[in-house]
Amino acid sequence: MDMDASKTDKLIAGAIAALPYRRPSAAFAARVMAGIAEAGAPQFWNVRLLKAAELTVTVWTAALVLVTGRLVYSNLPEIAGLLLRPGGLSGAVNLAGARAALALAKLASAVSFVGDVLAAAGAGLPAWYEVTAASLICCAAIAALSHTRRLAAGHI
Amino acid sequence: MAETDIELARRCLGGDSSAFAAILEAYQDRVYSFALRLLKDPAAAEDAAQEAFVKAFRGLASYNPAYPFSSWLFRIAHNACIDALRAGNKTVSMDREDFPDLQDPAQGVEDSVAESLDSGRIEALLGSLSPLYSEVLLLAYREDMGPAEIARVIGAPEGTVKARLFRARELIKAKLAAGNATV
Repeated sequence: MDMDASKTDKLIAGAIAALPYRRPSAAFAARVMAGIAEAGAPQFWNVRLLKAAELTVTVWTAALVLVTGRLVYSNLPEIAGLLLRPGGLSGAVNLAGARAALALAKLASAVSFVGDVLAAAGAGLPAWYEVTAASLICCAAIAALSHTRRLAAGHI
Repeated sequence: MAETDIELARRCLGGDSSAFAAILEAYQDRVYSFALRLLKDPAAAEDAAQEAFVKAFRGLASYNPAYPFSSWLFRIAHNACIDALRAGNKTVSMDREDFPDLQDPAQGVEDSVAESLDSGRIEALLGSLSPLYSEVLLLAYREDMGPAEIARVIGAPEGTVKARLFRARELIKAKLAAGNATV
């Protein structure tokens, strides 16, 4: 006679649950404790560093949201008036487009200005290989921190 | 009253490394057995379990007490076992699902066969499965973890865990029905 599936599932589950735990060799605990002594204290400085970085990003985002919100709130009557006026929505879009174009033009001129300043200060800048080496060191530090974070979190 | 895992972990973080000995004593059999049933080699299982405990100690500060300590520790053990399997050039892919052919699900299991599932037989059946499947069965039934907790341990979506559990049970049933488990 065949058993129904759920009864077989229960028997399988019960058999696995009843499996005995195996004990490692007597030297296992001593080996682990020796490995721990070699590893030193738990590494939490890098976790704290990354948490500080996360906090900085969060605070910065909150500040941006606050400033943007305040800007919108202080100009709310004008924005509302513009939107309520006949054809106001397209007017607002046009205005936003014009403002964006102006901001882009300002950005382009700022980039051009920075380029000029850098070109003028070019003689005082470090050599390209020094800049490259510094970039590589920064990348390595970030990768190491990221790896340690993954290691600590168990995402190995 | 015995100290909880969280209290022991806090003592370790406070600089008391001896508290880790209590954690080791509490979990060494469970972690070693888990590794042994996945790796099927006592020496490799001891190495993986040792690596897991040392990594757990080093990363103790990242343990989130909102979740069970055991699932955090088993996640590290899971990763150590995957590394060991890959280092041993085992042809086991833990990255993608493989779908072995299952027999006709209508084919049932005889009463006497299923009821004779002693520890030796189920151990052999588990050993005949891919670690992908034996792992979820062990975590679900031996370690009494739910799908969400297993998902955290193996780093897969909960739906994947449920699918693997279903397929693992079906594979065991198919092997039982075929009577091809090598005990």
